[in-house]
Amino acid sequence: MLTVSVKWQKEVFKAVEIDTSQPPYVFKCQLYDLTGVPPERQKIMVKGGLLKDDADWSTVGVKQGQKLMMMGTADEIVKAPEKGPVFMEDLPEEEQVVSLGHSAGLFNLGNTCYMNSTVQCLHSVPELKSALTKYSHSVRSNDLDQTSHMLTVATRDLFNELDKSVKPVAPMQFWMVLRKKYPQFGQLHNGVFMQQDAEECWTQLLYTLSQSLRSPGSSENLDAVKDLFGIELASSIHCQESGEESSETESVYSLKCHISQEVNHLHEGLKHGLKSELEKASPALGRSATYLKESRINGLPRYLTIQFVRFFWKRESNQKAKILRKVDYPLELDVYDLCSDELHKQLEGPRQLLRDEEGKKLGLKANEKSRSSKDDDFKMTDAEGFIKCNWRIIWDYISRRDSR
Amino acid sequence: MSDPKSGAGTSQTKAPAKDPKKKDEKKEEDLSEEDLALKQQLELYVERVQDPDPRLQKVALESMRQEIRTSTSSMTSVPKPLKFLRPHYGTLKAFYETMPESDLKKYLADILSVLALTMSAEGERESLKYRLLGSEGDIGSWGHEYVRNLAGEIAQEYMKRQSEEAPIEDLMELVQQIVAFHMKHNAEPEAVDLLMEVEDLDLLVEHVDSTNFKRTCLYLKSSARYLPGPDDMLHLDIGYTIYLKFEEFAYALQIALSLDNMQHVRQVFTSCDDMLRKKQFCYILARHGITFELDDEMVADDDDREALQDIINNTKLSESYLTLARDIEVMEPKSPEDIYKAHLLDGRASAGASVDSARQNLAATFVNAFVNAGFGQDKLMTAPADPLSGGSSGNWLFKNKEHGKISAAASLGMILLWDVDSGLAQIDKYFHSNDNHVIAGALLGVGIVNCGVKNDCDPALALLSEYIGKEDSSIRIGAILGLGIAYAGAQSEQIRSSLTPILSDAKAPLDVIAFTAISLGLVFVGSCNEEVAQAIILALMERSESEFGEPLTRLLPLGLGLLYLGKQESVEATAEVSKTFNEKKRKYCDITLLSCAYAGTGNVLKVQNLLVHCAQHLEKGETHQGPAVLGIAMVAMAEELGLEMSIRSLEHLLQYGEQNIRRAVPLALGLLCISNPKVNVMDTLSRLSHDTDSEVAMAAVISLGLIGAGTNNARIAGMLRNLSSYYYKDASLLFCVRIAQGLVHLGKGLLTLNPYHSDHVLLSPTALAGLVTMLHACLDMKAIILGKYHYVLYFLVLAMQPRMLMTVDENLKPLSVPVRVGQAVDVVGQAGRPKTITGFQTHSTPVLLAAGDRAELATEKYIPLSPILEGHVILKENPEYREDS
Repeated sequence: MLTVSVKWQKEVFKAVEIDTSQPPYVFKCQLYDLTGVPPERQKIMVKGGLLKDDADWSTVGVKQGQKLMMMGTADEIVKAPEKGPVFMEDLPEEEQVVSLGHSAGLFNLGNTCYMNSTVQCLHSVPELKSALTKYSHSVRSNDLDQTSHMLTVATRDLFNELDKSVKPVAPMQFWMVLRKKYPQFGQLHNGVFMQQDAEECWTQLLYTLSQSLRSPGSSENLDAVKDLFGIELASSIHCQESGEESSETESVYSLKCHISQEVNHLHEGLKHGLKSELEKASPALGRSATYLKESRINGLPRYLTIQFVRFFWKRESNQKAKILRKVDYPLELDVYDLCSDELHKQLEGPRQLLRDEEGKKLGLKANEKSRSSKDDDFKMTDAEGFIKCNWRIIWDYISRRDSR
Repeated sequence: MSDPKSGAGTSQTKAPAKDPKKKDEKKEEDLSEEDLALKQQLELYVERVQDPDPRLQKVALESMRQEIRTSTSSMTSVPKPLKFLRPHYGTLKAFYETMPESDLKKYLADILSVLALTMSAEGERESLKYRLLGSEGDIGSWGHEYVRNLAGEIAQEYMKRQSEEAPIEDLMELVQQIVAFHMKHNAEPEAVDLLMEVEDLDLLVEHVDSTNFKRTCLYLKSSARYLPGPDDMLHLDIGYTIYLKFEEFAYALQIALSLDNMQHVRQVFTSCDDMLRKKQFCYILARHGITFELDDEMVADDDDREALQDIINNTKLSESYLTLARDIEVMEPKSPEDIYKAHLLDGRASAGASVDSARQNLAATFVNAFVNAGFGQDKLMTAPADPLSGGSSGNWLFKNKEHGKISAAASLGMILLWDVDSGLAQIDKYFHSNDNHVIAGALLGVGIVNCGVKNDCDPALALLSEYIGKEDSSIRIGAILGLGIAYAGAQSEQIRSSLTPILSDAKAPLDVIAFTAISLGLVFVGSCNEEVAQAIILALMERSESEFGEPLTRLLPLGLGLLYLGKQESVEATAEVSKTFNEKKRKYCDITLLSCAYAGTGNVLKVQNLLVHCAQHLEKGETHQGPAVLGIAMVAMAEELGLEMSIRSLEHLLQYGEQNIRRAVPLALGLLCISNPKVNVMDTLSRLSHDTDSEVAMAAVISLGLIGAGTNNARIAGMLRNLSSYYYKDASLLFCVRIAQGLVHLGKGLLTLNPYHSDHVLLSPTALAGLVTMLHACLDMKAIILGKYHYVLYFLVLAMQPRMLMTVDENLKPLSVPVRVGQAVDVVGQAGRPKTITGFQTHSTPVLLAAGDRAELATEKYIPLSPILEGHVILKENPEYREDS
């Protein structure tokens, strides 16, 4: 009969007796009583080895008063969950895109950054994507020329490709068609394609798409692109010499931010952009006179495009120059004060709601006026749509342009 | 007689002319009256000396001597009497030759010897010549400058006589006098230098006393770093002898450890009979991380010995670490998200993916393990099971894929680091899993928990040996690595006998063999064990050409190298063997062995040797340049100067080196500045982290983690955060960024990876071995770290140590006292009692020490038993302390 002390986790059981005539399994059962660890889960360390259930005590060489260490727990054994997690790496490529949260990039085919940035910007407009998917491949309306049709198809295909892959895409087909439709993009300089203006590409592409995505037949809502990007401007034209005044409305696809010495902020640039001088024949004076044209926004699109007019024609040297002036822009642009009075009236209600909502978020008391919730929702989205205008797209556009 | 000082102002400003005669004529008019009188006086003496009357001669010599001795001019100008005697040096010399042998002649020789100080032509050593011919009187009476000059001439003369094999007794006689003089007059470095020149440092021991031994030893120690072998050993040996003589045992132990001389360590224990101090020695040994068994000769009493052995075995390390953590209030577990701080990044990168990514989960596993290392609790592995999901506590474990589960299960070992009892209890349940990866991870985890901690029952050995022979190779690797990590430096025969057969097992897969070699290298680190070396060499020889191309094969030569870590020439016999390999294999082995053998020596020649290898342009696809670059860092990391120089050299390699060199440079920088975020290195690595070569970028990112390891450095953390958004699309680089983020917050900033400790003097061999292994694995990032052997990252555990100063009382209970912590100042060779720290702040212990920090007690109430305040320090009450009223 030997007595040993057994250490188990942080506890020490002193004076545990070993009956050396019995196999070690009996000893383990003794420990089971003390610790609650079933014998088969016990590991007992003796001189750098484990005690086997059927070992002979005489060969193990345990001495009187020796310290033994036991390892083992009665804890539940770890089991793999029946349904293991699905790992992104195992997913097919298409599904990886979704989980990545961003879409594929485009290869630069040699100074084609203007085109790539334009495509990426347009690609992130879901409404445009769905409009393109509806566009059928084979049917071409009669009033559309062949190249425009091809460009639209190429755009649609490229968007599909971008959606499907995680790896960068080479927009070869699209580029070829674009060059065919607009040969100026195929200009060569020293044997390589020239740098081009992204704004030009944007305008041309939007124009083509607006042509081709006109839904045939129905007279209302006929232009999907105009719906998304078109800005209604109401302008008053005033001639100082004769005092003539006239007004006109027009629809444009982008607001221009003119950059002059005084412009430090996007907002100032936009204000500038909405005022212009033009020369035209004055019926009253019988000669051409300078007219002052002031425009205000009469209708806002879902996506507001802003062009930073950074190119400037230097008369002295007959060269294009880039204006490097830093113009700040906010992360959320409010164009309320550029809107016409008419639009102001329309916007007032939703804006008040929006402000209340923000006030609520900040913990302020909501406005007492109660409205039906349905009405609320509708107007809210309306207002947000107007004001926020998917700022990100334009942001992208600007940052890419500027990094060039 | 006029005071020579009084006229100093007028003539001192004159520049000494080349031709003394010409100048004298011109100067005649300029001299003040006093100077003129002195000059005439001296001229008279010179004439009198040549007088046939010996009595007159004697008087003249005496007076001349008097003049010279009393002239105490500043060091920058020649004393007046000497100056005026210059024109007569030739005359006196000529007269000396004609003099008959007599006392007077010796007298004159003395004076000539002093005059030669300014007159003697370069290399003539006339001062020494006449000194030897002179009366051998008190040497110091002629002034300090004279003694210094003489010492210089002795060194030259000694060299000459050595080459001619002429006797040197007379010189040594003089050396004795000079050394005694220097040692008495606070010029210990000069004394040491002289003795070094005449190769008789032993003389020093008799001349040191309690006032100057500290400065002497400090100079010996720091000069040893710049000496070639075996002089450096000799210096340290003398230092050791002196420390022992003055009972500065802790310093003696420090030297004994840096010499890796266990006999000396024994001697320290046997020479000291204070139990408390012995406890302090044990703390130093424990921090050094070597296995050391006390016997009854060192500590007589059984109970005492057990208590001391417990300290060496680090059994209480976990406890003190947690005390520190509680004091600093960082016990709260941190999740990987707390480290990533994604909310600080703008928009897109933070958009969390909806699907689990195996790679990102694996990164989170490592981050979680590194950050919560040693705290015993975390939010992924040890957190209680979520009752809602209904699963067992293995939830996170199964969010890892296949081999990822090895690292996940092993991370439990890291979280419970050093706490063997609860660690084993928590890992136990994973042994019963039916998933081989989980079992492999549990085995590795057991090894990690036991890292640096020794236990009487050897639970790691008992558990792991069972699994070494298992069929499944991941289980085998888990067990083998576990043994390597748990018993690093233990030199256990039992492990040797169980692991070496695997190396020659023809059926064992390559990865098993490679990890066996590494484990053996770790267990026998720096032991030069013949049998292990043979086994690894045989395994290397058996590798076919194609196998040698495998990424993991690099671990075989490394395992061999670890056996000779820091052992310098001892490696040569083994290095011979590699001659039988083909060229590519041989070069790789040679470089690896060389860099390991000279690791931590600061040997400049070896650094140059390695640089030469890096300068070659290879065409046959050799791979030895990577280890060569790492080797530069390994050798040069020993001391500050060499370290700065090699950082510069590495910068050059970046400019001109080829791709395989550029890939290794960031890793080398990481090793040089481990846990020491130097701003210039940080900037270099930050630049490289955007390199177009993705492997350079990966290495740079990992190294950013290494240099910031355990510092919580905000700048690096910011850099890494930005990198995480920069690389959000590149899963591999993002993985590296995550690992680096985990490293920066290693142990929530309480740990260091620096293998150097005790004032950057001692190098822990196991810690260095762990780092080097991990870095060698990083040389092929894609195949090893990003492949399925990511668990090599756990080798870092060998270098992990709390960067703390914990003061304990005589019963080893934590004791809080005020300490000043500041930047360490180099005080070698400075006179008096210079300040050892600068820009200090006062804290109360326990306190964290950053790289380059030094602490000193801010109270007189206690006396520390270790002169170096790092790690655990025992404080004794100062009996002479009086409370300020």
